[in-house]
Amino acid sequence: MQLQNSSSKPSEDLSKNHLQDDNMIVENSPAEAIQTWLVTKLSKQLSLNAKTIDVREPLTRYGLDSIDAVTLVGDLEDWLGCELPSTLLWDYPTIEKSAEYLVKEFDVSAAVSPVASSNVKDAGSDKTEKVEASSKSSGWGGLWNRISGS
Amino acid sequence: MHQLKQYWVAEALEKDLGDPTQPESVMSFKSVMELDEREEFPEKDVEWLYNWNLHHYHIPVEYGGELKSYEEFVAFVRVLSRRDLTTSITFSTLFWSGLVWMAGTHEQKQKLAKFIKDKHGAMCLAYSERAHGSDLVGSDVQATKVPGGYLLNGEKWPINRATISGISVVLAKTDDSGGARSLSLFVVDKSEIDPAGYSNLPKIKTLGIRGSDMSGIRFDNCFVPEEMRLGQEGAGLELGLKGFHLTRTLCAAFSLGSADTALRTVLKFALGRKLYGKTVFDIPHPRTTLVEAFLDILVCDCVTIAGARSFHVAPEQSSVSSIFVKYFVPTAVEKVVQNLSVILGARFYLREGHDEGIFQKVVRDNAIISVFDGSTVVNLHALILQLRQMAKYRAKRNAATYEKLRSRLESRFSLEAPLPPCERAKFELFSRGCDDVLQGLEISLEHLYGLKTDASVDAEVLQKLITLTSTVLEELDAQDEFLASSGFEYGHDQSPESFELAKKYCTLHAAAACVHMWVYNRKILGGFFAKGEWLAICLNRLLMTFRPSSGIIPSIYIENVAQELLKLDRENKMFSIVPLQLAQAQSPEEKTHAASELQLQA
Repeated sequence: MQLQNSSSKPSEDLSKNHLQDDNMIVENSPAEAIQTWLVTKLSKQLSLNAKTIDVREPLTRYGLDSIDAVTLVGDLEDWLGCELPSTLLWDYPTIEKSAEYLVKEFDVSAAVSPVASSNVKDAGSDKTEKVEASSKSSGWGGLWNRISGS
Repeated sequence: MHQLKQYWVAEALEKDLGDPTQPESVMSFKSVMELDEREEFPEKDVEWLYNWNLHHYHIPVEYGGELKSYEEFVAFVRVLSRRDLTTSITFSTLFWSGLVWMAGTHEQKQKLAKFIKDKHGAMCLAYSERAHGSDLVGSDVQATKVPGGYLLNGEKWPINRATISGISVVLAKTDDSGGARSLSLFVVDKSEIDPAGYSNLPKIKTLGIRGSDMSGIRFDNCFVPEEMRLGQEGAGLELGLKGFHLTRTLCAAFSLGSADTALRTVLKFALGRKLYGKTVFDIPHPRTTLVEAFLDILVCDCVTIAGARSFHVAPEQSSVSSIFVKYFVPTAVEKVVQNLSVILGARFYLREGHDEGIFQKVVRDNAIISVFDGSTVVNLHALILQLRQMAKYRAKRNAATYEKLRSRLESRFSLEAPLPPCERAKFELFSRGCDDVLQGLEISLEHLYGLKTDASVDAEVLQKLITLTSTVLEELDAQDEFLASSGFEYGHDQSPESFELAKKYCTLHAAAACVHMWVYNRKILGGFFAKGEWLAICLNRLLMTFRPSSGIIPSIYIENVAQELLKLDRENKMFSIVPLQLAQAQSPEEKTHAASELQLQA
């Protein structure tokens, strides 16, 4: 992990898919939206040029090892707002196959619809219950989404 | 017997083994040192443990065994480990039966239970290879599909108990294309395969645990029937990693046993040796070193017990709960042993004297624990990958998740709360952002504020606990903020700064575990534990690395801990938040300590 400044921008601007906001992606199909999300994520977190990522190649080809792949499922869960098998990217090891599987088996509409809500669907709301010694970090809302690219 | 039933097995085993300082006891320091000098496998001691039926406590109740809780399990492994890590580590390869309890078919489970109970069977875990230590996916041992089963080819090395065990749990490649689904696990019963198909590699000479069967196993076109495969083909890595969750936590019991002996041996020396007209214990620096070693053990205790209970209460968090224990406890105990060695001076290096030279054996044996089942670096790396998600989840806590968390915290930390059976099938490769211990810190802080009206709690101590716990929370918030504003990359080239962040998270986690342990067990454990002075010192020590603050701890607190240390030693009790009665060679009345006057530092 390079501890970079958050202001550093992804080096690649995806020409094909315009990312208006993390959760506002205009795509031809849900599967393509998921593919775009995965390509963007990988290019950012493996320091790759997005144009060089082939959705039909195994993810391991790009240096994503087995434990990284499990972690990436966590990011996918946050974005799609549903619980996924932790071994999803082991069992569907290309971007194309995993996107196809997700569209077929899960309701991904909330995240990939043209007018996406900025709130990721979750077990609850974004509001953290206040206790007497409430944490300063509580209730970040969409801050995480804005800075983590998910 | 201790009031907590889950410690009865450990106490009974302790009593039957006898005082290790007495040469006639089973696993006495004298006999384990002799075996170590001869580098001899502790066959008789292992057989004694089987005859005692300790192996039954590795088999779940539903398969005819006695394994009820991992808290109980950790306690008896600690009892063994304080005598001899060679025997403890040898016997404890039975840990690996956990893989079968987790993923085996009903028939496989029944068969394994029978093998352990009727044949006094044991297993080894054959993951590691000469060219691949932590890189499991890189395994070269092949399992080629043939009618009715597989042909195994290749070599596993170095493997504990590879030769002196009836079953080898082998991780092998079943798919040449590589990747996370290319491995499968096989529970290979040597009595059911052609002896020509496998051979054992010679015993390896090691620095510590010298009597261990540290060797290897080689397969040459060895046919293993399909029913020896554990889980689906391709499930090897997933099961292998989940198995580590279990054993990483249990490794802490090895460390805690070592720590107890290291402290007891050095304390005995410090109380008996006179320098400048007083005992070594009466000299401030060594006295403080001994007290701090005791406090560090108490912290490790809280972390370990919370981790062991977590398997029952929050199995979904196994991936991180095991890291907290496996990173923190062995490294902390290594430091404890090193600090204590200073008091012994040149004597720490002697293979004789001071309980048969057991201290140097502890130094050598203990040094391998942090490497077992995923080294310190492997564990920290795995934690780095999950830190962001934990910070995210923490920011999103809400009333509903909070209430569930509150209930889990109580089940996990209240030592009187009954533990549900461990649902091993719920172990997960990642925690989905959950870490109850740190994410529930506000719950215990709130509880501390609530104690302000409780007359049974010393107001000054309570105020210090509130201040220190609030500091832990501030540090956690700051770390979360930092993670939120940092970039992240996958891969093996994680920066040194990331490792430091992960270490800090583990330290904060340890602090939170101590706070919860006190909050939920004040009335249960009572006395010294309930007073909370030890907790204030421990929190201050844990925070010292990033929040140096002198003057917050009055010297009387340290002195009261010193008196507790002496009391436990005098009464022959375990140095622990659950101070079990240890085997006695003589009554406490017969033991006398060198008089140790209260030495208050102004």
